[in-house]
Amino acid sequence: MGEVEAAPVRESPRIEAPLLEARGLHKSYWLGEKEIHVLRGASFALGPGEMASLVGPSGVGKSTFLHVVGTLDPPTAGQVLYDGQDAFAMGEEPLARFRNRNIGFVFQFHYLLPEFTALENTAMPALIGRMPRPEAEQVARQMLETVGLSHRVEHKPGELSGGEQQRVALARALVLKPRLLLADEPTGNLDEATGEGIHQLLVDLNQRLGIAAIVVTHNPRLAERMPRRLRLQEGLVIEA
Amino acid sequence: MKRFVWRAAGVALWLQVSAFAGQLALRHILSSKSLLSPDALLFVSFGAEAVAFLLIGFLVSFLAGGFARRELLVSAGILAVIAFAVLHRMKPPSFSYDKFFADTRELVIWSGLTGVGALLLGLWGASFGVLLGAAETPDLRFAFEAGIARTHLRLNRRTAAMLVGLGLVPPGLLFAAGVFARAYDETVRSRALGAAAPTSLSSVRGDAAAVILSAAAVVAALFLAGRWLQARAQLAHLQPGQRRKRPATVVMTAISIAGVSVGVWALTVVLSVMSGFEADLKKKILGTNAHALLLKYSSDFSEWKSVMPKVVSVPGVAGASPFILNEVILSQGQTPTGAELKGIDPETAGSVNELPRQVIAGELSWISDPTQIPVRETAKPRDKARLLGDDQYLQDTFERKEAHPDELAKGIPPETLQKMPGICVGKEMSHALRAWVGDVIQVITPLGDMGPTGPIPRSKSFRVACILYSGMYEYDSKFAYIGIPEAQKFFRMGESITGLELKFKDVDAARAEGRRVVAALGGFPYRAKDWAELNRNLFSALKLEKLAMAIILTFIVLVACFNILSTLIMLVLEKTKEISILKSMGARDSSVMKIFVLEGLVIGAIGTAMGLLLGLASCSFIERFGLQLDPDVYYISNLPVNVDSGQFVMVAFIAVALSYLATLYPATKASRLSPVDGLRED
Ligand SMILES: Nc1ncnc2c1ncn2[C@@H]1O[C@H](COP(=O)(O)OP(=O)(O)OP(=O)(O)O)[C@@H](O)[C@H]1O
Ligand SMILES: [Mg+2]
Repeated sequence: MGEVEAAPVRESPRIEAPLLEARGLHKSYWLGEKEIHVLRGASFALGPGEMASLVGPSGVGKSTFLHVVGTLDPPTAGQVLYDGQDAFAMGEEPLARFRNRNIGFVFQFHYLLPEFTALENTAMPALIGRMPRPEAEQVARQMLETVGLSHRVEHKPGELSGGEQQRVALARALVLKPRLLLADEPTGNLDEATGEGIHQLLVDLNQRLGIAAIVVTHNPRLAERMPRRLRLQEGLVIEA
Repeated sequence: MKRFVWRAAGVALWLQVSAFAGQLALRHILSSKSLLSPDALLFVSFGAEAVAFLLIGFLVSFLAGGFARRELLVSAGILAVIAFAVLHRMKPPSFSYDKFFADTRELVIWSGLTGVGALLLGLWGASFGVLLGAAETPDLRFAFEAGIARTHLRLNRRTAAMLVGLGLVPPGLLFAAGVFARAYDETVRSRALGAAAPTSLSSVRGDAAAVILSAAAVVAALFLAGRWLQARAQLAHLQPGQRRKRPATVVMTAISIAGVSVGVWALTVVLSVMSGFEADLKKKILGTNAHALLLKYSSDFSEWKSVMPKVVSVPGVAGASPFILNEVILSQGQTPTGAELKGIDPETAGSVNELPRQVIAGELSWISDPTQIPVRETAKPRDKARLLGDDQYLQDTFERKEAHPDELAKGIPPETLQKMPGICVGKEMSHALRAWVGDVIQVITPLGDMGPTGPIPRSKSFRVACILYSGMYEYDSKFAYIGIPEAQKFFRMGESITGLELKFKDVDAARAEGRRVVAALGGFPYRAKDWAELNRNLFSALKLEKLAMAIILTFIVLVACFNILSTLIMLVLEKTKEISILKSMGARDSSVMKIFVLEGLVIGAIGTAMGLLLGLASCSFIERFGLQLDPDVYYISNLPVNVDSGQFVMVAFIAVALSYLATLYPATKASRLSPVDGLRED
């Protein structure tokens, strides 16, 4: 796999040219007459190759925040900038392509496609990016090996353990070596040791590939070990 | 809400107006410069306009970056208004037969239809554009989408094999049934004729391909049945938890495929039977009538002997024969009947029609050589009449003649009888007059000499020279034939004739060939009328009936396409989560749309293929098995079928096009889902 596209890992948390910048993000949901104001002007910036943990009590809006900064859901107000450009000002197709190349998601409920094997699931982003199938399977195989699953490539999600599924989801998020990984509780529902393993993997990958990451977690010990710690509180992002 | 793209609307309007003008111009040019029939003319010009509307929609979708609904609506509306203004100015001929110019109401309908057509076809074209990614950069690739669609439909190697089996076995069995029914029938028939009875097998042997195909179908059916039983047995052994649950959408997919194939099946079979009737009618009409008539705008056509060689030398002409046609009354004793009396030349008549081959008793040539007509003995019916053994009337007429040979010639000396000219009549006429070969009948023409109180009818005695059977009731009951010289004498025409009957090498080019013959003769005063023109009522009635049938049966396919629609909606609902995940990984809207359009198309295509095969097998079965019809009602013994490949292609096209349309709503819905829609569920 090599050190392709590896951006230098920055030490300092304050960067002049951030990879991702959120400016005054607001997000509200309407339940009938009632407005649920989840994000209330959250702002922050993340440099290339920077790794941050995001903590906060359940229901505070962490998943919502990840979806908004991951360009899946437009904010009610505010901007999401990548390399200084407003992501939601892009058209549908350029945005989809941007997501395909630059952002990898690990969802809270890992969401593998149940009818496809681990290999096919992992290769999916590459196929979406129109990589020829043999090549896509090649990179997917390598990524599965990196997450330690080379012996489970032909298994379907239903035939994998919870931890293995998490790792497939991680492999899928990283198969195209994106610049940013957004992981929503990648270690949830896992025992201590497995969670630790996945966490270690994330840190390794970050160091080897220079992938920036925001990792939501409920595990304070894991959060502590991140170079940068963020907390979502009352709709705002604060440095912990 | 997307921005209204004025440029797209403007371009659409401009092109649509050009397409409309083009249609008018094309129709005008073709009607004056080509030999196309009026129907073909409309088909070509409106077809070209429709294709243009489709392409315009496609183009506009790129300009507007989407379906361009509002843009197309605006331009189509303005187009309708412009079309009305133009048509109002032009005063086009009416489509209805009882008016010459179209009235305002008709023009409103026309221009309205033009607008609606432009809109719907435009949207259809735009859907292709959207599918190819008109919103941004076009993307023609669909390998990844096809992979997803395949898993949604469970199209793995096993189900594909099953589908192929299911698609081939029932038609194969039907085909086999036809082959064996025919073989059995032939054995029974040859045994009845007392011939050395061949076994069923030996009569089948001639059709080796049919035998191999049907054997393969039977083997495949047994194999499939075996596999199915095996699978059932295995299922029974499974523990409750081991059974794979089948999602509802898989069952619905199967039902949709079945629905499409039933629709296509019905459509192909009915259309084939109807073209069978049409072909049968055409054959019978062309058996008695020539392909075209060469007539003259004058009652004097006495130069025909010099015209004939010129006509025959025109390339494309296969034969020509003179004729005289007049209406007369035939009578024998107290039974008069109206008839078309046709003077023909027995020598050349066979080169333009099938008359010599329609003779079931006597000889056609006896009309020009009446001394040959037997006086004492009775002419036996030919083999053909034996095949008509169930025709009791004909039998009776013949038997009466055998019992009383000179019943109808009582008192006339044989020498006089021998000098009487001959006449041939159709079989229905023969028993209406109760006259067999050799009998004397009276021919009366109202166009006699002038007497003190007006024309006095003139009559003359003829002897029946032959009896004809054409298979068309009208012909067999209305036509009588005499020699040209007799007719000229009888109608006092001198050397003149009514016209020439022509036969061409290519029947379907009769109109063009006729015009060529006229041109070779220097045009006016000659003119040609082809058989389709001469029998327009019959064929246009048939065509209308066929069209009505096609439209009604297309509704079956349409309903089947609603099945596809609901199946796809279910699939989209089932796969909301998956769509969200794909989108979060960077799948474009058009990619998601492609997935569901492909699924619908695959369902439609599989159903269509199955339906076509079933239709083909059914036609072969009907043809070989020979479904009996009541000959007294239909004047035809078996249900006719005519497998027209063009018709099958047309049906396939309609079915696939409708399935495509059915995919658009669910596919667009799926493509518009936001990535978070599916992530919130659970
Ligand atoms: N589509 C929606 N409609 C209405 N309310 C919503 C919607 N999505 C999220 N919410 C609300 O927004 C709030 C934040 O939800 P979110 O999923 O972001 O929380 P979270 O921080 O990820 O929680 P957890 O740690 O339990 O995953 C919750 O109160 C939730 O009820
Ligand atoms: Mg969450």
